[in-house]
Amino acid sequence: MNKKIVLLFLFVPLLMALPVFAADSQWVLEQSTLAYHVSHPLHQTEGMSHAARGKGVCHDGQCDFLIAVPVKSFDSGDSNRDLHMLQVTRGAQFPMVTVRTRLPETVASSATINADLEVQFAGQTADYKQVPFQLTTQGNETKISGTIPATLSDFKIDPPTLLTLPIKNEIPVRVEMTWRKQ
Amino acid sequence: MNVKEARVLNGLGILMLSIAISQPLQAQTSQPSPNNQPASTSHEKTPPSDNLPDAPSGSKTTEPSLGDLGFPSAQTQSNPEEQARLDKRTHMLKIHQRMGLITTVPLLATLLTSLNAGGKNTSTTSRNVHTALGAVTADLYFTTAYFAIRAPRIPGTQTKGPIRLHKALAWIHGPGMILTPILGIMAYDQRNRGEKVHGLAAAHAPVAIITAGAFGAALLSVSLKF
Repeated sequence: MNKKIVLLFLFVPLLMALPVFAADSQWVLEQSTLAYHVSHPLHQTEGMSHAARGKGVCHDGQCDFLIAVPVKSFDSGDSNRDLHMLQVTRGAQFPMVTVRTRLPETVASSATINADLEVQFAGQTADYKQVPFQLTTQGNETKISGTIPATLSDFKIDPPTLLTLPIKNEIPVRVEMTWRKQ
Repeated sequence: MNVKEARVLNGLGILMLSIAISQPLQAQTSQPSPNNQPASTSHEKTPPSDNLPDAPSGSKTTEPSLGDLGFPSAQTQSNPEEQARLDKRTHMLKIHQRMGLITTVPLLATLLTSLNAGGKNTSTTSRNVHTALGAVTADLYFTTAYFAIRAPRIPGTQTKGPIRLHKALAWIHGPGMILTPILGIMAYDQRNRGEKVHGLAAAHAPVAIITAGAFGAALLSVSLKF
């Protein structure tokens, strides 16, 4: 009898401790396309980057994701415009754009998700609540696409002007990413 | 103490140890990160002073950090000197753009007054007005050019896009803006002596038209998408 009680006391806390030692799953960003869109009365421009890197760490059913991309990696096809973008966004002083989000581990099987994003850019942090993304999962790979409704004023960026006309405040960022579960 | 008692004590020891280990670890994982706390829509961040602005890789929190992503340190490091260079460049190119737009006004006026300055029916007054406007245009033009030439270059930048055409056209309107006034002075002197414009001076009008055309194209190349 005593032996059974001892064994019970021995195994229950061990079972409780098991989730702590369970291996965390991780996600790694395989491919990405991030594109910001700028509207000006004379131009419609898109700056694109494929240089983003990202990682997701899952624990206790929650996954913390970090995606980062160098500001200077965005290419609009015009080096003069890209340098101007780098200047107005203080891209040399704050060289990285980072996006953080926390999602339940189960969302990988969903077709759409609404994510709360924390974006650090140009020395400012902006929060975007419930941003919709579409998901497509095939095996260990999940493709995510959506648009972050960013604005210049969110990051206290003065709108650049061309021929004295400023660009629109809205700079939506299109996101297409492929994540691999490890 | 017999063997049985020793085993029981051993088991209890393991039990206590497993509880002791599990508590701090669970506390770490269940604790919400400050980064996920509700924050104001926008708040300031100080520039990253070192290579890894966020928590270094291998920190006790489960959240990934910038260091985990493997970016080269040169890419993540704040560079105030380069920011200052970019600020100066933008400032000078803004002046360049503004001066370029202002220059178009006397340039167009010079072209319009050229209709009365040359040809058979001309007067000294119309030639003087044309000359004065031409001089103003040249002054403004070279001031405009100064701000483009002296704007700091950003190392490692490959020129691409419409700015290539804009720069290439400078090789036409730049020499043209030197030649046009010289040829204009020659033509002006010949006309004042009562001579018909001849020799190199006869190229004044064609050179001026090519120069003005290249200038206009340079302006449009960075203004309109085509």
